[in-house]
Amino acid sequence: MSIHFRLITLIAVILASMNLFAQLQVEVKDGSVAEYNMAVSPLAVLDGADSALANDITSSFEKVLDITGYFNILNKESFLEKPEVAFNKTDFKSWLNVGANGLVKGTIKGKDDVELELAFFEVASGKELLHKKYSTKAGMAKKAAYRFAAEVIKTLTGEEMNFMFSKIAFIEKSGDKYNLVVTNFDGSNKRVLVSTTATVLLPEWSADGSKIFYTSHEKNNPNLYSIDLKTTRIKLVSAYEGLNVSASAYPDNKNIALCLSKDGNSELYSLDTTTNELKRLTVNAETDTAPSVSPDGSEIVFVSNRSGNPQIYRMSLTDLSKVERLTEQGNYNQDPEYSPDGKKVAFSGRDEKYQFDLFVIDLASKQISRITQNQGKNESPTFSPDSKVIGFSSNRKGKNKLFLSNVSGTKQFAVYSGDGEVLMPSWSPAETN
Amino acid sequence: MNMKQIFNFCATAVFVFTMICSCAENPPKDERELAEKAFADAEAGKDCDRENYLAAEELLNQAREEINKKNYDKAKELFKAVKEKSDAIAKYYRDHPDECMKDKNKNGNGEDDGKIGEEDVKQGTVDPNADPTNPDMDFQIVHFEYNEYAVLAEDLPKIDLMAQWMINFPERVVRIEGHADERGSVDYNLSLGEKRALEVKNKLIQAGIDAARIKIVSYGEERPIDPASNEEAWFKNRRAEFKREN
Repeated sequence: MSIHFRLITLIAVILASMNLFAQLQVEVKDGSVAEYNMAVSPLAVLDGADSALANDITSSFEKVLDITGYFNILNKESFLEKPEVAFNKTDFKSWLNVGANGLVKGTIKGKDDVELELAFFEVASGKELLHKKYSTKAGMAKKAAYRFAAEVIKTLTGEEMNFMFSKIAFIEKSGDKYNLVVTNFDGSNKRVLVSTTATVLLPEWSADGSKIFYTSHEKNNPNLYSIDLKTTRIKLVSAYEGLNVSASAYPDNKNIALCLSKDGNSELYSLDTTTNELKRLTVNAETDTAPSVSPDGSEIVFVSNRSGNPQIYRMSLTDLSKVERLTEQGNYNQDPEYSPDGKKVAFSGRDEKYQFDLFVIDLASKQISRITQNQGKNESPTFSPDSKVIGFSSNRKGKNKLFLSNVSGTKQFAVYSGDGEVLMPSWSPAETN
Repeated sequence: MNMKQIFNFCATAVFVFTMICSCAENPPKDERELAEKAFADAEAGKDCDRENYLAAEELLNQAREEINKKNYDKAKELFKAVKEKSDAIAKYYRDHPDECMKDKNKNGNGEDDGKIGEEDVKQGTVDPNADPTNPDMDFQIVHFEYNEYAVLAEDLPKIDLMAQWMINFPERVVRIEGHADERGSVDYNLSLGEKRALEVKNKLIQAGIDAARIKIVSYGEERPIDPASNEEAWFKNRRAEFKREN
């Protein structure tokens, strides 16, 4: 067989299989939509509206849909119809021709006081499934678009998602400098809360989202602090000799679980932050650390090397003798994090290539699914408040960056473009206001 | 297209694909994957069948080299041999788990990353010119194995030297800073760094130094001496350092 012939046959086979898969893509699974081709027509800019804002809203809207993993966002270059075409003049045939199952169209009017009008159509039937008008300040227009995105997702999948309204805290390290940074879920609206050459480590939100706990070597001992997001007031929370690390909030907004080493080695405690009353949770000659409290406050998952190497364990908080080992595969599992719906635990584990990757345990079935593979080091998973998206730190493109993934791992992308190394992300609770 | 047609189509596609790729002009991807996986699975048994484990590792390295040299047929054979050997180790481990655990404890090397060759980068031993009667003596750095907190045997004299210095200067207080390499989570490495500092502190106490004169602090993986990601850098970074408190 000549090389040429082989090559041609190979290409033919690949093309044929691609075509086959294309036909199988649109299917309804578990009551939700898989790979639904969505056309997001750029917002039509009317009455002096800011076109940069319009573009930002369109691309953020796409990002929100994309990260759910349910949508295939169609490339705008292929669109045949202009954004300015009125809602009721939409030519659905032209959208069928670009392969769209769904179409989102919108207009934005006004500069400071903005009117945003959005509609969602089912292309095949030409039926309008949603239509909303939002009057808002320019600065809040993106949020209004997110609200519409959440409705589109709910209409198609039945799922309530709120990750788009939440924030992520993380450490950005540049040289010796540690910044505690908070951004919106998509890496926008950066705010630096703490900046120091002493360390800032392991940020974790309070249950009500008003504070962030973190550890710093500011006073030459790894002490636990909290910073109030409104007042930026910093408070010393725990300063026992040795480690004061890995805070995880109980739902009561009062107690935290944490790791202290004051009794000779790393043990878990719960601390009442209002009375400073301390309760010891583990007694063990080996390291116990990295607690994550379940959303109902009834148990914790944590890391222990009581078996000889770091593994993930689960312990009842009402009966401390009830301890269960959750990971059996691999000999280095770490970073456990409860999903806010209480159904899953994400963690990072070292795989057969000695690389850390993300995994999710389904607590009911004990099934472990893999989220990342062959893409550098992936650590510090954190769930969005709706448990639908996982934020994590990955060095797949060189430096450690903030990445998002849907829970099945089928969609992943970086969301923050700062210069430093992004480490230890922690997702905020659901927005309360 | 119904399911059967799809299946037939896929089967044909796979067949054609296999035909095209059957000559060794491409790297043996499947063999490699199977071999790498089998070798990883054999890690659990490496302590009770170390010779075979080392042999499998050697074969695997050879196979990888052949890939680089584009000798794909040779590489394929080697990968098959790796898989066979690794499967045998894994089977031995499955059949004799108790024996393997016993051997593991006897070896006392507990958990390491399975990579042979870390010994090659060991350095250290105490500086012969260090003078414990000199108040300004340079303190020496103590090193550790991966994920271990026992001081490397060749670095123990550094602690003896430190104890001697502290006996000579009884008013001095020192701080031991424990560090870990970058692998592993921040929280776990803080605990590990602290265990290392504590281990060194205990050695000083055994040598007669008052515990009140020894403070410890862990920096985990936050203060590497060498920021590179390789065995040599990791070795340098797994350490305990003495600092003057007064």
